[in-house]
Amino acid sequence: MQLIRDFFISTTLLLLASSLFAQIALPTLHQPVTDLTSTLDTQQVQLLNDKLLQLSETKGAQLAVVIINTTESESIETYSLRLAEKWKLGRKGIDDGVLLLIAKEDRELRIEVGYGLEGVLSDVVCKRIIDEIIVPEFKQNNFYQGIQAGVDQIIKLIEGESLPEPKQGAKDQDSSFAFVLIFVLFALAGFLRRLLGRFLAAIIIGAIAGFLIWYATFILIASLAAGFFAFILTLSDLTAGKNFLNRSGGFGGSGGGFRGGGGGFGGGGASGRW
Amino acid sequence: MRSLQLLSLLCFCLTLTACGYNDLQVQDESVKTHWSEVINQYQRRADLVPNLVSTVKGYAAHEKGVLLEVTNARAKVGSIQITSDMANQEAALRQFQQAQSELSSALSRLLMVTENYPELKSDALFRDLMAQLEGTENRIAVARNRYIQSIQEYNATVRKFPSNLTAKMFDFEVKPNFTVENEKEISTPPKVEFN
Repeated sequence: MQLIRDFFISTTLLLLASSLFAQIALPTLHQPVTDLTSTLDTQQVQLLNDKLLQLSETKGAQLAVVIINTTESESIETYSLRLAEKWKLGRKGIDDGVLLLIAKEDRELRIEVGYGLEGVLSDVVCKRIIDEIIVPEFKQNNFYQGIQAGVDQIIKLIEGESLPEPKQGAKDQDSSFAFVLIFVLFALAGFLRRLLGRFLAAIIIGAIAGFLIWYATFILIASLAAGFFAFILTLSDLTAGKNFLNRSGGFGGSGGGFRGGGGGFGGGGASGRW
Repeated sequence: MRSLQLLSLLCFCLTLTACGYNDLQVQDESVKTHWSEVINQYQRRADLVPNLVSTVKGYAAHEKGVLLEVTNARAKVGSIQITSDMANQEAALRQFQQAQSELSSALSRLLMVTENYPELKSDALFRDLMAQLEGTENRIAVARNRYIQSIQEYNATVRKFPSNLTAKMFDFEVKPNFTVENEKEISTPPKVEFN
């Protein structure tokens, strides 16, 4: 029984995962369709790619199709989640990623659904797509037809769901509060130096820094240390500090290629075999 | 003079991390979040049981023993008071694990019994419930895995130097982890059946 088998496999792998079972390497994400078994011909891969890229551009959701030979000693659920987590399909915060994984020699497949799509692609729905749409085709060795029909159904369901509009060239600014604070302190230090002279400014900045650390952590030693170093820095020339800050700012993101958007997965979806 | 500035700047930034204090905060929160997720998924499974029992009863009413076992196991799981601090107390955690494990065993036995009823297996409602149950079991496994990892990360920070000093200062203790239940059962490799 699938359930018993999966339960024992999950529990076993849970306990012995890192050391004992050799986990096979995960493929890299370059385009929506990754066929490592040469089941699909170039034209079929192209058609699927176009369809899935269009979905990503118009709807935002990222659906990837992967065909491998075997997941070896790993259960398809564990492999699928590992891959989905590595590729981070779907947009960050929206988690609208889906992975259709086919292990051809194992005769197993799985639809792995991101958190954001669990409502429309529930476990029951995924199971039905697998059992009623994909598997009947696979049983007759019609792999492209099965994948295409499954993908079409999944896209149809995703289209029906209201998701945030995909942004063009969106940038994720990950600013650490601490850096902002340091920058503000330095700016203030520079200003005070000109106003009050080096020594006085150093004392004030040292006191502020010390107080801030004390307020945040109540660790006396850390506060004293922070105050002391801020004092030293303000006393000396601040150019070193400014250069450091300039280099650390600006995280660029280059476009091009199909890349995961940072979506999360929780183990939702369904598996099947033919 | 320049190298002194750089050194001072570096030390200033290091003091902001205050010897693991922030790490402990973040990781403690992470443990709490992951624990909630574990509880949620176990609850989700428990919620499926009544429907499952009634569907199976429709086809296999005389399998009283197994059905009763599942119902009782679910009741036991439901009777355990889940407190927010439960995950930190070894005994409470053990009790919780035990009850969930009993429900797992009861469910396995029930499903093995259903193998003898092809009409039940082709019932649409039963198939849907099975899909939901399998999905939930997978989610439980994922939630447990992530919870265990978060505990390991947290415990490592509590133990490592110098963050262990900070941990002692603020009463951050090592948290108990999920243990191996039914070690013998798990050590035998699962049989893979091809239908």
